[in-house]
This record gives sequence, C-alpha cells and structure tokens, in this order.
Amino acid sequence: MRVLYSKGVCAALSTVAILLLCSNNAMAVPSFARQTGMACEACHTVFPELTPFGRAFKLNGYLIDNLPQVKEVTADKKESLLLNWLPPLSVQFVASYTKFNTALPDPNGGLSQNGTVQFPEAFSLFYAGRIAPQLGGFIQLTYDNNSDSVGWDNTDIRFADLTTLGQDKPLTWGVSANNNPSVQDPWNTLPAWQYPFSQTSSLAVSPVTTTQLEGIGNGTVAGLTAYGYWNNLVYLELGGYAAAPHGINNTPLNSSFPGEVVHGVSPYWRVAVQPQWGRSSLAVGLVGFSDQVVPSGSNVTTGSPLDEFRDTGIDAQYQYIGDDHIFSAQARYIYEKQTLNAAAAANPGLDPDNTLKSLRIGGSYFYQRQLGGSVAYFSTMGNTNPALYATSTGSPNTNGWAFEADYLPWQNVKLAVQYILYTKFNGSSGNTSYTLPSDVPRTASDNNTLYIFAWIAF
Amino acid sequence: MNTLASVSGCIVQLDKHDGGSNMKLGVLGGVSLALSLIASTGYSAEDQEIKRYTSQVCAACHGPKGNSISPAFPRLAGQQAAYIEAQLTGFHDRTRGDPAAQAYMWGMASQLDARDIKQLAAYYAAQRPVPGAPGDKTLMAQGKTIYEQGMPDAGVPACATCHGAAAEGKEVIPRLAGQHPAYLVKQLAYFKAQLRANAPVMHAVTDKMTFDQMEAVATYAASK
Repeated sequence: MRVLYSKGVCAALSTVAILLLCSNNAMAVPSFARQTGMACEACHTVFPELTPFGRAFKLNGYLIDNLPQVKEVTADKKESLLLNWLPPLSVQFVASYTKFNTALPDPNGGLSQNGTVQFPEAFSLFYAGRIAPQLGGFIQLTYDNNSDSVGWDNTDIRFADLTTLGQDKPLTWGVSANNNPSVQDPWNTLPAWQYPFSQTSSLAVSPVTTTQLEGIGNGTVAGLTAYGYWNNLVYLELGGYAAAPHGINNTPLNSSFPGEVVHGVSPYWRVAVQPQWGRSSLAVGLVGFSDQVVPSGSNVTTGSPLDEFRDTGIDAQYQYIGDDHIFSAQARYIYEKQTLNAAAAANPGLDPDNTLKSLRIGGSYFYQRQLGGSVAYFSTMGNTNPALYATSTGSPNTNGWAFEADYLPWQNVKLAVQYILYTKFNGSSGNTSYTLPSDVPRTASDNNTLYIFAWIAF
Repeated sequence: MNTLASVSGCIVQLDKHDGGSNMKLGVLGGVSLALSLIASTGYSAEDQEIKRYTSQVCAACHGPKGNSISPAFPRLAGQQAAYIEAQLTGFHDRTRGDPAAQAYMWGMASQLDARDIKQLAAYYAAQRPVPGAPGDKTLMAQGKTIYEQGMPDAGVPACATCHGAAAEGKEVIPRLAGQHPAYLVKQLAYFKAQLRANAPVMHAVTDKMTFDQMEAVATYAASK
C-alpha cells in the first residue's frame, strides 16, 4: 500500500506521536499521602481513579495539609509564606512487557522483535502538594524509555479559594494553569485521566487519528482555566489554551518548524453535575475544545489557511465505594468537527469537511482494593476521506476491547495483565498497514497487544 | 505552632503565636471577603474560621454541617461535643487505631491541638442532626429488644443505659440517633475485633455479639 501523507495526516500523526509519549499516566502520588497524612484510599478507589474526597482535594488546590509548616505572617496577619516542612515529593516506576499478536514489520525488512521488556518503561518524579497558602500543584517530570528522553509531563498548578453562594452553600473556585486540556478535570472520564486503562503500553501501535481532546497531549499547549464547584454538585469551567511547544522558539511563524501547533487561543469549557447518595456518586458532564492548527511549514503571517477542529463531548461516571466492593463505570463520547482548509489547500483531492466520533465505555470492579479487573470498549469513527487517511480503505475507523486483571498487594503497588483486542484498525479488519515502510499486509488482530506491567509509586 | 489553616490552606488560620488567648484571623488573599462576611453577619472571627475549615476540609467526607452522605463517614451533626473531642484526641494521639482512623483521621488530626479540637467539637455539637429513619421491620424489632433490654445471656447490657432512651448519647457516650446504620455496624465490628482501643467498655459489650445482632441494634439505634 502506498503511503499518502497529507498535511492533515501529518497533523494526526503528530498528535498520535504525542499521545504515545504521554500514554503512561496511571498515577496516584504518594506526595499527597505524605502531605495529608492520609492513605491512598482517601483520594483513590484504585489509582488513578479519584473518590469524591479526592475530587474535592484537587478542586481545593491540593491544599489540605497536615505537615508542620515553615511560615511567616506579616504584621497585619497576612501569611506571606506557608511551606511544607518537608517537600511532598514522590517517584513512580513502571516496568513492563509488551507483546503483539504478530510482530511489527521491521523497517529494514522482515519482522522486528516481539516481546519487549522495558525496565523502566517510565520513571517519574513529582512535586505534588501545596506551594503557598492558596496555591498548590501537581508537577510531573517523566523519563520515557521508548524515546530515551526526559520530558515534561502532566502539570496542573492551581489557585483555589472557598466562599459561599446562596444560603451557606459552599462554592470552591479557582484558576488552573495546566498543560493539557482535561488534566485539570476531577473526574476520570476525559482523556487526560481516563479510567479504566489509564496505563497502556508505550510501544502499542496507535490508529491513524484521534480527536484533539485525546491527542493534543502534554507539551504542546499551555492553558489557563477558571472554575467553580458549587454545593458539591455543579461544576463550571472556562478557559483557553495557547501553543507552548517544548524546545521551540518563535513558533509557529518559523516555516522550518517541524511539528503542528495550535494558533491563537483555543477555548475550553466544561459543565458537570455530581449528585451523590449513600455510597454512590454520579457525574454527568459536557466538554468542549476548539483549536486551529498550523500545519508544519506554514507561515500564518502570510495568511496560510489553518486546519480547524471543534470537539464537543458528553461524559458520565458512576462510582460505588463500599467497604469491600468498589465498582465504577465511565463513558464518554466526543464529536469532532474538522474543517481542514490547510490540508485541502495542499491536497486538492482532500475533502476539508471531516468528522470524527470517539466513544469509550468502561467499567471496573475491585475487591477490598486488592483484586480486580476492568473492561472497556473503544471506538473511533469518521467519514471516509482517502486523501486524508492513508489507510487501505481511506477510513479512520478503529474499535476494539480492552481487558485488564489487577492485583495490588499494597495500595501503592499494582501488578496487571492487560490485553487490547482490535476488531477494526484503520478502517479495516483486514489490511490495516499505513505507516509502515513495507507493504506487509497486516490485519487488525495482528495489533492485539498483551501488556504485563508493574506500577509502583513511593 | 499549630494551625488549622495549615490544614485548609485557606484564608483564615488559627494563630497562637501571640499568647494563645484568642484566635486571630490570619488573612491571605481574601481578606476583604472574609472581613466583609464577618461585618455583615455579625459572626465572630472564630465562628468564621470554624465554618470555613469545616466546609472546606471536613465537609468533603462528613458532609455539609456534619451531615455526611456516604455511610463510610459518620454524621457529626448534633454529636456529643465531649465524644467528638475524645475521638479527635484519640486520632491525634493515635490511641484510636481502627483502619479508617489510620487511613483518614490520623493525618487530619495530627496538627490539631486541644483548643482546635474543642472548637471543632463544639461546632458539630451545635449543628442540627438529621432525624433517623426506620429500617427493616424484623431488624427493628430485634434491635429494639437488644437496645432496651440487652442480651443478659451474652453479657450485653441494654444500650439505652448509657446511650439514652432516644439514643442521644451523653458526654463521651456518643449519639447514635440518625447515624448511618452501616457505620454503626462497622464500629461494633471494630470493637469486637478490639481495633478501637480507646473504648475498652465496648470491647467487652460486643465480645459475644453476632453480626446479625449488630445489624439489628444498629438499625434500631440509628432510627431514633
């Protein structure tokens, strides 16, 4: 199969690459346990899924603190410094084994090795906790074995305060500076903290495209959002993101810039309600994100066209947290409207009006937070656009199932076996190859991935 | 040094550097808001501090004004002040060491001092408790017998003797009325397993109780 790279495809591929780099984000940080003096179970059912208390802790700016403090108070009683006596640091270490149903073709011919051990697959350092009286942060630096590089990972620094609105009803409000649209979200439905299957192999093959909310990832944007959470029930958030690629100056005006960046300010909005009863909580929400992407090599000052994306999502989460039994289910659906003016200008055969629909439904059960498992269905559907998607059918459709069995001997150690099963990959269950230099036919099920991993955080 | 604000990280703090006779309102970014609230409501700075602390920190689990939603966390509204004080002290000193206490409250209470604890206890004792709701009829009937008459053969005295006819409690004896039945059952199981070391009397009381009896008496007591 001939590989066609339109600019739109390049945009999609670059986001996929970013997604790959940032896929190892299963985490709960012992930093918070150190700062609060509370066990992991206070904030997490099983990491990284948050409990209602964990969500409140996050929305309150990671400020709850039970450590002795270094402090200074001014003459008029203002706190000018409030520092944890010991910094809330922690480490995450992931080791893994990845095996494909059929080994990937080697760029030099034949098949590459199958069955890869990574030790570590990822290693992260965190500062997570309070920074100042009303300022807290979750800051992560990650070494990625696959790229053999250290990179900036999930970051959420937020100011938070509490007031009342209407008959003593609490209103938590704040401002978050973060590097990934949805990393600041307190539920586990949106891409940054999606659950289950927050942890997937960094070696796994990814489909030809994904929505912007799923794919924009850390390291390409910086955002500022303001939020309010009223009466532990209603959540509203509004903000914007701008390009902030790492290691690049004067972008995106430099025509030699190799990657894709967003242009101007990309708005982000979120609405959710979270009723709670007994041991259960439900959250139902809407999310939106729109951006304009400057294709590589373009120069926006000369009026080059841009590719426009508008994502609208609906999501829901249910949790039951019992003493012995914990059950949760998450679902989200993202509809993405694309207007690919830049891609169409570069490739007249490409239809600029394109849509993508991403669905994900999953559930998990744990017994005494030790033994459990998860299952999820995932699907990305879009219209056929052969000039855009260099797949065998011109379709981006990919869907399948994910399964995982977990054992947590202790709260901060997870051992898991995961299997990703593709029923369709890049528009076909048959020949799905698209980025490989060879024309080796490859079926969807060839990409099925066995992933065994150990996750420890301390 | 010991501050409530170090727990909440919020606008106000209890500052005891200047003699400790009065709590002072330490003001951060929201000074004007806090002061205007005080001015407009007539509440004391102390009241404001407690309200803010409880609504930002404690309420995340124990609910607004101590009326928790999940039975994993006890309702505190209307609870006996002396009992809350004893438990917070037990968490602080780590003399109450059941699993939930260790996981949640040892940390939360670690930086509280006796004055903070007294204020928190007084705050929750002053809140209006939710009325209890009757449970399963069979359990209620069995529970009523145990609660009012005890189980002499098993060495279980009548609960009402200490907890009161209306399960309202007295001083360090906790209020049970309106509590989550599942929470009460879990505490009885903790007592029987001798995991709540700061209540030796209850260890003896529950020693020969079965789970079904615990469920029955918890259902009845909580319904009061």
